[in-house]
Amino acid sequence: MEGIIAIWQRDIIKFFRDRPRMVGSFSMPILFLVVFGIGMGGSMESLVSAGTNAQNFNYTEFIFPGIVSMTLLMTSIFSSLSIIQDRDFGYMREILVSPVSRVNIAIGKMLGSASVALLQGVMMFVLLPVLGIGIDLVSFFQVLPVMFLMACAFSSLGLLVASLLNSMQGFQLVVNIFVMPMIFLSGALFPLNNMPGWVNFLVTLNPVTYGVDLMKHIMIDVESLNAAVREEMGLNLTFFGQPVTITGELFFLLGFTAVLILLATLSFRRANS
Amino acid sequence: MIELVGLTKKFKHNEAVKNLNMFIEKGEIVGLLGPNGAGKSTAISMMASLSEPTGGDVRFNNNSILKNPAPLRKVVGMVPQEIALYDDLTAEENMQFFGRIYRLRGQVLKRKIDEVLEQIGLSERRKQVVRKFSGGMKRRLNIGVAMLHDPELLIMDEPAVGIDPQSRNYILETVKRLNEERQMTVLYTSHYMEEVEYLCDRIYIMDQGNLIASGTKEEIKQILSAEKTISIKTNRLNDRFLSLLEESPTINQVVAGEKEVTITVPKEINMFPKLINLAEKVELELRSVEVKTPTLEDVFLHLTGRALRD
Repeated sequence: MEGIIAIWQRDIIKFFRDRPRMVGSFSMPILFLVVFGIGMGGSMESLVSAGTNAQNFNYTEFIFPGIVSMTLLMTSIFSSLSIIQDRDFGYMREILVSPVSRVNIAIGKMLGSASVALLQGVMMFVLLPVLGIGIDLVSFFQVLPVMFLMACAFSSLGLLVASLLNSMQGFQLVVNIFVMPMIFLSGALFPLNNMPGWVNFLVTLNPVTYGVDLMKHIMIDVESLNAAVREEMGLNLTFFGQPVTITGELFFLLGFTAVLILLATLSFRRANS
Repeated sequence: MIELVGLTKKFKHNEAVKNLNMFIEKGEIVGLLGPNGAGKSTAISMMASLSEPTGGDVRFNNNSILKNPAPLRKVVGMVPQEIALYDDLTAEENMQFFGRIYRLRGQVLKRKIDEVLEQIGLSERRKQVVRKFSGGMKRRLNIGVAMLHDPELLIMDEPAVGIDPQSRNYILETVKRLNEERQMTVLYTSHYMEEVEYLCDRIYIMDQGNLIASGTKEEIKQILSAEKTISIKTNRLNDRFLSLLEESPTINQVVAGEKEVTITVPKEINMFPKLINLAEKVELELRSVEVKTPTLEDVFLHLTGRALRD
């Protein structure tokens, strides 16, 4: 346990010391917020209103959970990838030679990356007043554990990827293969209706899909939207034809995290032998 | 204390360690020498349970660590070749991190940090981030974090590479003191013969994955007891002179530098008249001819045909 706490705490200290990284990791989500929220917001709101007779549909409010999810995903994955540097610079040899088990090293790193991602995600909420979006305190405290669970799932994925990479050279590949497709195939930024079967399959397996959906259900008053808007905006999520429940989504994320942390530990053990 | 039995590591395209047998007794400082690519780091990795051998065994207190590495991991400290410190953490935070990895906490951890920082001469710098440290200070701290949990066995993989002579002396003195005061067992790998000669009780020499010599310093130097080494300095070396030396039946080995050539000959042979004769034949000016007592470097040269730092 002491080893898990030490590895977790080191990531937190590093986060607060590395201000350029803190600021830099906001740039992409803010860019997306500007492009999608301001650039496409007007058109999307007109289309939805025209198709559904809905009043007061706020597209920025719809994509904000998606942007936060994107921040969580990027920070978690990139933070987990720092384990490659640990390996290259020899820190990992010092840790691996110690009595801390491989599983605890993986869990400590996963929790560290997830905590950093959560902090970064929470900082995005500072933008809410600027965007004209309101959130009550109850919803805010409800969304925090969901964000942390999402960050744990993404960090586990990052750890698995890191254990398969030999160097940071593959970093860009990871962004292209995992991060961006996971964002675009989650319904975070636009609804994914009438997609081909194989795309739907990927959407169904994508953990971001369920994280974003959970966040939307907490942050947006989904029930107050009319049925046509919910349908149009992809808020009636299904899992292989079955309607998705909040409990189901939570279990999916928990299961995803558990399986990936196990795979990451096994892969990590193999990579270091 | 720890024994390597027929240890072998094969990778896809090469065999990094071939049937290595060695042992370290409690309280010894043992040197492991070899040029780059000799297989030292791979051997150390297997010894420290960081990687699994493809053959053979590592036995710690007569028990295989391949099946159960936990007893070894509790008492081993590792100083890697790289500076493995977090640049954006202070010296004290680095020590806290590595101490906690070894399950130290609270007052015990605090007391150990104070003690080790004092030993490595960094007490005054404890609150400074490591990024601002000199290379020598980083090396000292690198050793300090491995000493926090009072390891019974300290594995040091070239700990004094790339630092100033003052810091190197400090490190050597610290290792010597740890061994004398706490009977800490040390495995020390290095490129530098003088470090190993100063510190180590026994020495193992590896080259291309093979163990090519082992024993005490004196035993290893005995390898050359039937021979002597002669260093010849000239105004300029030419190929004809080298060819004549190589063709001479009394010379066992010729190693040429830029303006210096070292030959190994049987102890009883007087080479001076012959060398003068050969030099005159090729119109070469001899600057000096010096008979040397064999050093570990000479033994290494003799065994591998190349200098240790090549």
